[in-house]
Amino acid sequence: MNRLNIPATKYTPLIDFDPKSRLLVIQGESYPENTAEFYAPVIGWIKDNLSLLASEPTIVEMEIVYFNSSSSKVLMDIFELFEDQAKAGKRLKVNWIYDADNESAQEYGEEFQEDLEHLEFNLVEKKS
Amino acid sequence: MEPSILLDQMNFNLFALKKELAQQGIFFEFSGPLSQTLLAEMGDILKQKMKLEDASSPTILKVFSMVVEQTQNIIHYSAEKMGMLGESRQDLSSGIIAVGMEGDTYFVITGNLVDNNDVDHLKSKLSVLATMNAEELKNYYKEQRRLNPDDRSKGAGLGFIEMARKACKPIEFDFVPVDDRFSFFSVNAHIQ
Repeated sequence: MNRLNIPATKYTPLIDFDPKSRLLVIQGESYPENTAEFYAPVIGWIKDNLSLLASEPTIVEMEIVYFNSSSSKVLMDIFELFEDQAKAGKRLKVNWIYDADNESAQEYGEEFQEDLEHLEFNLVEKKS
Repeated sequence: MEPSILLDQMNFNLFALKKELAQQGIFFEFSGPLSQTLLAEMGDILKQKMKLEDASSPTILKVFSMVVEQTQNIIHYSAEKMGMLGESRQDLSSGIIAVGMEGDTYFVITGNLVDNNDVDHLKSKLSVLATMNAEELKNYYKEQRRLNPDDRSKGAGLGFIEMARKACKPIEFDFVPVDDRFSFFSVNAHIQ
């Protein structure tokens, strides 16, 4: 199982999915011109690897300062893949990390949380 | 003709335009071909400027978000394009974007050409959003987020809903017929 590492740019987040530490990190801003194209390898990796990886406890850490509306759609698609795994009994949890003074990041985290039934989705306020 | 006279004439017109923009409360504007990297730079400079003016971080983020959604709308959908070899990735889309302040409210206005065939679709989309309250917009957003986008949409089809949710009053819009093919489409979103 390969590590997926895509460095951050001004408008795309860092992607660091490390099977060794069972930690999947998405961190930064997300407003690419072509969202589907940017996230295709991310979704591909999840589809190929997550089921096997999450047979042991696996943590997803998401700290997204800003995302545009088309990223919001892709993030929902990703959470639905996670939801399927959680429903199948896989050991996966998401920590949605937000800054205390970024009320929209908190609200948007809550809105994802409301739409997920089986996946453990924690809202984590960042200590600054 | 003396070159200096030409220059004077140009400066005069530009100054008149500058004054006109200032009178409307506009402190940032761009007109011409737009790109993703230009958007990122515009976003940076706007954030810096608003920070210096002591705007709150939620307000800065909302204004930034309007600029992103609207600029990406222009990049994806403006009917004013300079293409090369018909490959969409090399198209340059043109539009106009302005950010200003009216009292204690920021506004982001954008305009671009659209195909006359798309006018009705855009009108009905924006008219429906204008009638919705915050709760309805939230539910509609969440519902649309789970659906596959419609054929015309290159993003998720969520852009206008996102903008309506962040705006402090219904999004204003206007269509001015240009010729038998195009109309000029403008959108104004207010942020507090």
